[in-house]
Amino acid sequence: MFHLLSFVQWLNDTRISVYLRESDWPFPIIETIHILGLGFSVGTIMWLDLRLLGLAMREAPVVDVIEQLEPWAIGGFAVMFVSGSLLILSEPLKCYNTVAFRIKVVLLILASLNVLYFHKRVMHNVDEWDRHMPWRAKMVGFLSLILWLGVVIAGRWTAYF
Amino acid sequence: MTFGKILPAWFFALCEYTWPGSWFKHAQWFFAIDETFHIMALGMLIGTLVIVDLRLLGFGMRRQTVPQLAAYLGRWTLFGVAMMIATGIPLFMSEAEKLSKSSPFFYKMIFLSCAITLHFTLHRKATAPTATPGSGLGKLAACLSLLCWLGVALAGRAIAFL
Repeated sequence: MFHLLSFVQWLNDTRISVYLRESDWPFPIIETIHILGLGFSVGTIMWLDLRLLGLAMREAPVVDVIEQLEPWAIGGFAVMFVSGSLLILSEPLKCYNTVAFRIKVVLLILASLNVLYFHKRVMHNVDEWDRHMPWRAKMVGFLSLILWLGVVIAGRWTAYF
Repeated sequence: MTFGKILPAWFFALCEYTWPGSWFKHAQWFFAIDETFHIMALGMLIGTLVIVDLRLLGFGMRRQTVPQLAAYLGRWTLFGVAMMIATGIPLFMSEAEKLSKSSPFFYKMIFLSCAITLHFTLHRKATAPTATPGSGLGKLAACLSLLCWLGVALAGRAIAFL
């Protein structure tokens, strides 16, 4: 049977993990890249969400905002995902044992499901949204804001606890 | 270069050891919460700038014009800057003495001053309704703006490591 803790312990002892953990430069550099990715992805996702909620860029058609910002959100997310995986690899056991990190993983999964739901179930009649914004689209925007806010907080707090 | 070489030591001690700095220093949960808001403000601010600056460079939201985007997002940029400064001051006060010896902090403030000055001069001109679309001036303003804010974020991150 697959046992997560023994996997984490094995990962923690691999040469690459020890190297990332014990040398001075990789961690700050990877973390900086992680934060830049955050600027691009959360920076653009937040404006998408605020547009869905009708709080910002109201004059621009919804479909324009979604189609033009999504590539940047996805690109930023890819950068964050790769750099984040390396950050986990640098201290697997610490991440496993940190409550804030566990919360972050749960919130990330929920945020992904939210995006999936948006694309599969909500977005089909996006052309009509400028006349009438459906409550489901607003809900997705609201949940996305809250979830990403939670991801940032839990991520920052992973460093404290 | 550091601020400790420019300003007298009592200034930093005053910030850190008298109220409200002394309170910020000892309420650790306050530091953590304040820092979270600081990062959120940064995310929001960077988001607005990335959208406008990328557009100035001809990427991103090309179906909208630069002046349109600047009009939609301008007040949010200002709100982001205000929130960043408001949450940044308690962060500074809670460890003023340490920061007085930090060169990354010094350079962060230099980049920040440049970024804010740029925003109200060249950047404002390049995003005004009268600006020529796709001009070299706009591209220059966008590159400088992105570089200054990148500098602010990188130097800010470096404070924790150097």
